[in-house]
Amino acid sequence: MIFLTLMLSTFREAIAKKIFLGFFAISTLIILIFLFLINVDSVEGMVNMMESSGEEGIKQLVIGFQVAMINISYLLIITFCLVSVSSFIPSMLEKGNIDLLLSKPVSRTNIILAKFSGGVVLIFVSLVYLIGLVWLILSLKSGFWHVPFLYSIFWLTLSFAVVYSLIIFIGLVSQSTVLSIIISLFLVFIICPILSVREEVIFSLVSNSTVQFIINFLYYILPKPSDINKISMNIITGESVVSYMPVYSSVIFMLAVLSVSVWYFRKKDY
Amino acid sequence: MPVSKLNFMSIISTNNLSKEYPSKSFSKEKILALNNFSFEVESGEIFGILGPNGAGKTTLIKILLGITHRTKGDIKIFDKDIADESYKMKVGYLPENHKFPNYLTGEQTLMFFGKLSGMNSKDADARTAEYLKLVDMEKWKKTKIKKYSKGMLQRLGLAQSMMNNPELIFLDEPTDGVDPIGRKEIRDILINLKSSGKTIFLNSHLLSEVELICDRVAILNKGVLVKTGRVEDITAVTNDYKFMTSDLDENTLNLLLSKYKAVIKSRNEFLYNSPDTEEMNKMIDFLRGNNILIQSIVREKDTLENMFINLIEKQN
Ligand SMILES: Nc1ncnc2c1ncn2[C@@H]1O[C@H](COP(=O)(O)OP(=O)(O)OP(=O)(O)O)[C@@H](O)[C@H]1O
Ligand SMILES: [Mg+2]
Repeated sequence: MIFLTLMLSTFREAIAKKIFLGFFAISTLIILIFLFLINVDSVEGMVNMMESSGEEGIKQLVIGFQVAMINISYLLIITFCLVSVSSFIPSMLEKGNIDLLLSKPVSRTNIILAKFSGGVVLIFVSLVYLIGLVWLILSLKSGFWHVPFLYSIFWLTLSFAVVYSLIIFIGLVSQSTVLSIIISLFLVFIICPILSVREEVIFSLVSNSTVQFIINFLYYILPKPSDINKISMNIITGESVVSYMPVYSSVIFMLAVLSVSVWYFRKKDY
Repeated sequence: MPVSKLNFMSIISTNNLSKEYPSKSFSKEKILALNNFSFEVESGEIFGILGPNGAGKTTLIKILLGITHRTKGDIKIFDKDIADESYKMKVGYLPENHKFPNYLTGEQTLMFFGKLSGMNSKDADARTAEYLKLVDMEKWKKTKIKKYSKGMLQRLGLAQSMMNNPELIFLDEPTDGVDPIGRKEIRDILINLKSSGKTIFLNSHLLSEVELICDRVAILNKGVLVKTGRVEDITAVTNDYKFMTSDLDENTLNLLLSKYKAVIKSRNEFLYNSPDTEEMNKMIDFLRGNNILIQSIVREKDTLENMFINLIEKQN
């Protein structure tokens, strides 16, 4: 009960900070653009394609749309989500607020877990709205109900959760919203993509085996949201997924960072 | 064992409690915020903790509530070590400079913290209405907290600390920023709480106020317990007597000054100091002999404030 109250307070905070409104606006914009594209196509290209390649053509088109959608979500939504939640911990830690919270009969471990699960459920609900609605529109328009697209709600939420655990840790240690945003965006959009193509790009430039070892090591211990995103696209297009290692190792990273966060929070004086 | 100890259960007891904060800079040594602090708070009393800025009062409250961790020592609340956090169900707290999420209204704030204290929605709802009325904040309940004045926030904070019907309430500067009428109202609320059997742990700089409501006080300076005791024992009576009389003539005035070392305040009032009852009665005979009417004799008390200032100045 207390845990639930704390978790739901994340929602209230999100509403108060207009995060839901922002997400709703962005989502609706994306959906409108999709509707527009679909209608343009249906007038010109789609009719032609239907005639030339039949049902298969429509399926390809739908999948193409869905892959594009995931890429947009990954960029826009993950950025938006990370920026939105990064103030949760620093604002909780403000003097006069954290004192009161810690005087309540709720353990410090549960406070962290409630904040974490609150943020994850928040993003999950938002993604259900966005991806679910796009799926519904595409399916109704095309008659092709491609369920694997819906799985990406789960994959995007997972990518978010992994990085959110790091945001919580940085927030706890630094009490700084800006630092949390910078580090998490840097990780998601610079470090992770580079590490994920290390074999093709970096290793062709650097042949030193020690450096290669360090880079490999970093790749394996750091979370891999861009690889998870690739897996989610493979599932939509029906290509076989080479390895689920990025998923396992990211989840391990998340659990490790959460444990360290809890340990740090438990021993700290406020 | 004193009789009072037999009748009253101690609700808080600490033994050799110490707290060291790591120093901010490398050169300085650690800050010893509490140094071997041992004391007890008994059930049903209003206990005041006094001390200059930085004495360690807030630190003590935070340690008792598990917000800050002790460096060493034993702490028992409701007869159990505070490592067992279940006591927090029966405790209320008003932090110094509290800061509620400012997007909530007054009503939502009480509901939220009530539920965080383990209340169900129905109870929280009922008590929210009751306590908003008690602290006179009913008409502001739908207003966002960010629009509240300091005194309004303080009233809401006090209501918050009572939401879960706690046995023990910690108040860190509860009347800070509240106007004189509000302070009187808060004192009345506290006295009411006491009469319904609650224990109150109060931290305040307003010594005149502490004197009015506290049963016992502890004085803390630089982390050390300097003095503890009942307010009336600490503010012991002096040997100063204030006399109010009919008009004093020149002759009597001069004799009072020279012979009895009185301090003349006006034609009708003077202060007289003597530890000896015999002496004083001789002086009274002298007054009566000169046909002076005595209207009142009041034995002066040392204020808590005087005692406090003398004590701390002696220490430093
Ligand atoms: N988090 C902290 N880290 C380091 N030192 C601290 C911390 N909190 C308090 N102190 C130090 O501990 C000492 C006691 O502080 P505390 O806040 O308990 O004083 P106080 O008696 O409540 O003072 P005031 O009357 O001003 O509220 C001070 O020297 C203060 O600098
Ligand atoms: Mg203080």
